[in-house]
Amino acid sequence: MTVCPVRADDASAPRPLQERPDTTAAYDSTWTEQAPAQPPTGMEQVMLSSGKIYVVLAVVLIIWVGLLTILFRTDRKIDRLERRLGDDRSDR
Amino acid sequence: MEIRIFVLLPLREYCTMPVASPVVNPRLYRLVRAAVILVLTGVIVAGLLGEIPQLDILEQSARNLYFHVPMWFTLMVATIISAYHSVRYLRSGDRMRDIRAREAAWLALLFGLLGIVTGMVWARFTWYVSSGQWWNFDPKQSMAAVLLLIYGAYFVLRDSIEDPDTKGRIAAVYNLFAVATMPFLLYIIPRQLPSLHPGGEGNPAFSQTDLAPAMRWIFYPSVLGFIGLFWLLYTQRVRLAWVQEQLRDEPEL
Repeated sequence: MTVCPVRADDASAPRPLQERPDTTAAYDSTWTEQAPAQPPTGMEQVMLSSGKIYVVLAVVLIIWVGLLTILFRTDRKIDRLERRLGDDRSDR
Repeated sequence: MEIRIFVLLPLREYCTMPVASPVVNPRLYRLVRAAVILVLTGVIVAGLLGEIPQLDILEQSARNLYFHVPMWFTLMVATIISAYHSVRYLRSGDRMRDIRAREAAWLALLFGLLGIVTGMVWARFTWYVSSGQWWNFDPKQSMAAVLLLIYGAYFVLRDSIEDPDTKGRIAAVYNLFAVATMPFLLYIIPRQLPSLHPGGEGNPAFSQTDLAPAMRWIFYPSVLGFIGLFWLLYTQRVRLAWVQEQLRDEPEL
């Protein structure tokens, strides 16, 4: 039987910034033991690497695509108006 | 000399403002546009470079707070603006009010879709990373989806009625029902149910212990920036719809 010792140095490490709520360190959560997880594959491998920064990239890209959708829809409305005005001109 | 004239002409044009748009004060529009460009550019830069708390599970994805959460704030503002114009429409019967309500609701739906998709991606790689689920029927997710369906039905209802006056009136009344469900579906019901989403246990999720002060300096400008962006897009669409209305009223043009 193997005993997994809790890494005491992490748990008892002094956190001098904890008394200063104006720094982000006061909100840190540090786990002493991580549950053994399956090695990620495929998309997860990308999304979970580099501290999950690619999740932020994906979110920003989704919003960007959404804004582009509005751009194109507004363009289509303008096109339709222009075509209508063009038709009216040629009728005269 | 050539260059001086070239520089002065646009300046003079700027000082003698063009005929005011009947929809919006152009000076206000330009002011908001400049502010939105500045603020959102700053939010993207500071949001990616700024300091955040080191949290397990969330890790760097905590930066999504600056992009995902403002979508929902924008949706709330958009639905309230939409409902306001619906009330004004019911009182006056002015077709422009109906158009304003429609455009605000359309953008609310769009920002809601962005909010729900960004939320799905965020949750997939944080809470559901072990289960690999994209959708878990978390109360916050489900109720947000219900809200989007309610707003989607607003457009189905609009398009199903031919007569513009009947359409405007029925859509306006439905819009008031839709906005009344918004706080319940986004706030009250999800907080009564066990949820993984922050703010689940009845706490507001923006209290001292939930959001680091350093993040507030990026988060609140981001909310204002996206609301400003909504207003710009909304104003553009209303201006366009106004031109369309003028053409409809003057078939001889």
